[in-house]
Amino acid sequence: MACCASAARAQYAAPTIPVQKPAGAILVASFNIQVFGESKMAKRQVVEVLARVVRQFDIVAIQEVRAKSDDVVPSFVRIVNADGSRYHYVIGPREGRTVSKEQYAFIYDTTRIEVDPASVGVVPNPQNSLHRPPLHARFRTRITPAEMAFTFWLVDIHTDPDEVPQELEALVGVFQAMQAARPDEDDVILLGDLNAGPPEFKAFQRIPGVTWAVSGVTTNTRRTKTYDNLVFTRPATSEYLGGWGVLDLQATFGLPLEHALEVSDHNPVWGAFYPAEVRGQGLPPMAGTVPVRR
Amino acid sequence: MPVADRVNPPPEIDTTMPGLDGPPPEIDVLIGRLTAADAATRADAAERLCRAGREAVAAAVPLVKACGDADEQVREWTVAALEDLGAPPPNTVADLVPLVSSDHALVAYWATTLLGRSGRDAAAATAALAGCLDAAPDRAVAERAAWALGRIGPAAGSARAALERAAAASDPRLARLAQEALTAIGG
Repeated sequence: MACCASAARAQYAAPTIPVQKPAGAILVASFNIQVFGESKMAKRQVVEVLARVVRQFDIVAIQEVRAKSDDVVPSFVRIVNADGSRYHYVIGPREGRTVSKEQYAFIYDTTRIEVDPASVGVVPNPQNSLHRPPLHARFRTRITPAEMAFTFWLVDIHTDPDEVPQELEALVGVFQAMQAARPDEDDVILLGDLNAGPPEFKAFQRIPGVTWAVSGVTTNTRRTKTYDNLVFTRPATSEYLGGWGVLDLQATFGLPLEHALEVSDHNPVWGAFYPAEVRGQGLPPMAGTVPVRR
Repeated sequence: MPVADRVNPPPEIDTTMPGLDGPPPEIDVLIGRLTAADAATRADAAERLCRAGREAVAAAVPLVKACGDADEQVREWTVAALEDLGAPPPNTVADLVPLVSSDHALVAYWATTLLGRSGRDAAAATAALAGCLDAAPDRAVAERAAWALGRIGPAAGSARAALERAAAASDPRLARLAQEALTAIGG
């Protein structure tokens, strides 16, 4: 298995994502779709861009669903699937301390990923330390035999920009609670809009082996801030292949800034993971370059 | 290599087609539209101010007031705009102070938040914020007031008694924020 995983890792060291989804990796993304509600869904071209973004990935953790209607995400997934894709979703409850609330969602490609329905839930927040407590769900890849498949928790978070240090501190506890949630699951991927970049991740250093995918690049649409990331630990998540990126909305879709901002004020970020469980100390260090946005 | 070369080839999006808005109007024009009679016009103005990011900072007070709009889309875009607006201009403190006691909880919450972002420039808001600790009907407003007083720091010393009462509250978040504010105020 290590041999196959090494090959896959080497493939993802190459600075290209093929148009067809790869057999040797799954692509896990996070995307804050700013105020994802009825008004955004009414803009046909904006929705088309959003759908094309989702189709690039196996799972997308969504932040900022803001709508009274319950039909925004289902309608969007129908549009994603209009090309024959087979995505499905899970969505959390409305969260927030004021009447203006947000929902998290996971949209995933059912041909490659499955979710444990019993695993979907909101992280307990007894101290009210998180404005929008994360949505968690446990997934399994479907492109390897079930007994070998990579299983993992995703924990979807959008921090309060006015209380970032306190919320990052609270997320350390969330991460460790998720690590302990099941004795048969060591893979926890915390992903979302952290409103903070690696220089502000001091609290996360208390998590043994912690690392993150996105570093040294901006993730907002204006290309001024690093807010979005995928956080996990090694060697636990040795399935991480070292491939990651920021899907720049302006560059990818040829949109001027003002039009890219209609899609969102955040770019999607992603990481590549080997689709089978990797046991023991994991893989040898990846050779070659890690793709970064320049 | 740019990220565009690492993902699928750029789809051809005709940016002249309906669905994408034209150039953004000036901020002051959008501020005026926030109080238009037509909800769609108000929502469009709020969305465009949101997309303007921190360039919309001159709209801080009108955006806070728009949090009380009857239309959900206006409120959602307004809140999103305020989340990313940063600190308001110092000369807006006097206009924000009366809004912390607004009957509309969302207006009070965001007025309080912007005052907190102003730091010591919002020292003149200390009494109003201390009043929120004791009297705000909305728990989130009281909590945010404690946070804001901590951001003002030593200049909010006159709020110490109110903060000490809040620090003994049964609400763990309010108690924690009040205690943090007392530490920030010092003395």
